[in-house]
Amino acid sequence: MAIDLDRCQGCRACVEACKIENNTPSAVFWMYVFRLEEGTYPDTSISFLPRPCQHCHNPPCVKVCPTGARFHRDDGIVLTDFDRCIGCRYCEVACPYGVNFFNWRKPEQAFADYQLKMDDPDLAAVTGGLIPPYRNPDLDELQGDEQRRTAGSAHYKGVVEKCTFCVQRVEKGLDPACVVTCPVEALVFGDLEDPNSPVSTYLRGRDQFKLLEELGTDPSVIYVGGTPPTPDAREIERPMTGVGNANA
Amino acid sequence: MPTRDMRQPLPMGVGSLTRGWAAVLALGVVGTVVGIVGYAVERTQGMVATGMRDLGTMQGATWGIYIALVVYFVGVSFAGITVAALIRLFRLDKLRGVARMAEVLTVVALILGALAIIVDLGQPVRGVINLFRYARPQSPFFGTFSLVISGYLFASLVYLYLTARRDAAVLARRPSRLQGFFRLWAAGYEDTPEQRARDRRVTFWLALAILPLLVIAHSSLGFVFGLQVGRPGWFGTLQAPAFVVLAGVSGVGHIIVLAAIVRKALGLERRIGRDAFGWLGLFLLGLLATYLYFVVVEVLTIIYQPGVIEQRLSEALLSGTYAWLFWGSVATLVVPFLILAWMALTRTWRVGWLVTSGILVNLGAIGKRYLIVVPSQTHGQLLPYGVGSYTPSLVELAVTVGLFSLGAVLITLFMKVFPIVDLETEASTELEEVSA
Repeated sequence: MAIDLDRCQGCRACVEACKIENNTPSAVFWMYVFRLEEGTYPDTSISFLPRPCQHCHNPPCVKVCPTGARFHRDDGIVLTDFDRCIGCRYCEVACPYGVNFFNWRKPEQAFADYQLKMDDPDLAAVTGGLIPPYRNPDLDELQGDEQRRTAGSAHYKGVVEKCTFCVQRVEKGLDPACVVTCPVEALVFGDLEDPNSPVSTYLRGRDQFKLLEELGTDPSVIYVGGTPPTPDAREIERPMTGVGNANA
Repeated sequence: MPTRDMRQPLPMGVGSLTRGWAAVLALGVVGTVVGIVGYAVERTQGMVATGMRDLGTMQGATWGIYIALVVYFVGVSFAGITVAALIRLFRLDKLRGVARMAEVLTVVALILGALAIIVDLGQPVRGVINLFRYARPQSPFFGTFSLVISGYLFASLVYLYLTARRDAAVLARRPSRLQGFFRLWAAGYEDTPEQRARDRRVTFWLALAILPLLVIAHSSLGFVFGLQVGRPGWFGTLQAPAFVVLAGVSGVGHIIVLAAIVRKALGLERRIGRDAFGWLGLFLLGLLATYLYFVVVEVLTIIYQPGVIEQRLSEALLSGTYAWLFWGSVATLVVPFLILAWMALTRTWRVGWLVTSGILVNLGAIGKRYLIVVPSQTHGQLLPYGVGSYTPSLVELAVTVGLFSLGAVLITLFMKVFPIVDLETEASTELEEVSA
């Protein structure tokens, strides 16, 4: 995947698309967009940095997984086998990008907190009692040659999940939800090893960088335009991330 | 049928219930129940009941006090089997009195370590199955789960069983309610010279095999952290050796406390003498000196380490959010070091001061384990997620209390079904009487 930071306007439509496609619970952001500020007033600059899972070629999470639930497919996608994960969260501490999310709540409670009370009778009349109100049927399919359960979110309590590059869509030849939703086409998806794929053509001749490249993780997400965030960068605005209202 | 008069009380208070013992047990059971209730809440509500949260956008720590406890308990188990093996390999006869309780401590601490892992898992049942079914030796956790919890626990159990068979054979000859149990434990062992020689040979080789296993096992725990490049403060060569040494510090401290309690409760001032305590004190002093040297190296390295995020983490440790815990832990290691050094120089080993040192080093060890696990998660984000925080919830504290209480319960129960101090001297005279 290529992400053009010159194009990104920080609208977070990709974040929303991801949540709808993958039914992620509240406070879980498989795709996340940093809105960053650098420098000191008045010499400040603002930048945006979309952060999906980096789908590393040398993924630290796969290396540390004690059961092989986290695995690296031949096509480069790094996935979690929800039937095998034991919830030790080693992948989460090993990953330097902070892309892993643990299902702290049970699936039926995962969506029902913060502002919305899903058992509210008025709301229940609209949702028909379904939690989440809309559930993507594609997520129940099994993926890959081995037919493992790797798509979607919050299927079970107590397992770790993260961005799957929308494996349920990729297997059908479609682009991930964030890519198709981006209104300014800042995200480009495809096979990096195929020189004629859209992503390879897009990257040709452009300055690029990868996030935390010095760690040797070799991400498959390549950023063009812009620069990596400096250690001085700080977030200026955040969505509901569950901080401070965890027990709501 | 033996008449009532022929029934002698079993040695070391085995089989006879006293009020003090019952009080300790009751306290332990209450604590254990608190832990079970805590865990039940965690299971029914989901792990949202803990204070742990996701790294990154949730700004939490996904490993908390449970993982610190896993490391701590496995560390405590170190000393038991080391001391027991050293006693056997180097024939330290004056320490015979603490060998059995050291072995029991190892087994109990390993059980607690395994339980601490289980309570931390999101899918505990699946964990028990999949950790073996899909085991990956490439993961540093393989060392923790398979090497430590299975291999090491099994080796320790066999060691405890073999070294205690002689006592079981002796006790099986006495009529008591536990006679059948002792006969089962002895399993045909009758303490003939050939059997004795064979058991001595087997335990010698087992002790020799356990020592390297122990270094490997504790190092593997250090590698869980020391091999992670993506988390500032973790990657380093010192992790594995520091884990081994701090494991020894906390474990020997525990043995000293346990030995003092048993000595007082059973009136064994003669069996567990001052010289035994002196040896343990010296051993602890040596380990503590090594570990404090590691602390100095660690502090100097983190002050000068490159990288902005790494320096931010160092600040949090040395003068920021975690400074109270860091310097508090260092203090609870320095003070016992001074006490022990003073006693070693003046050659006066006071049990009271030794016990104080034993308790202090364990507090320090828990603090240091916590500091390895948590700050690198809350203050070590390489992407601009901001600084996080973690406070253990009531549920986690309840489970912590439960684990420690369960340990106390297990040791207390063991004391009433088997002599916690081996019967060496009394046993040999008794056997001669029987055979005469």
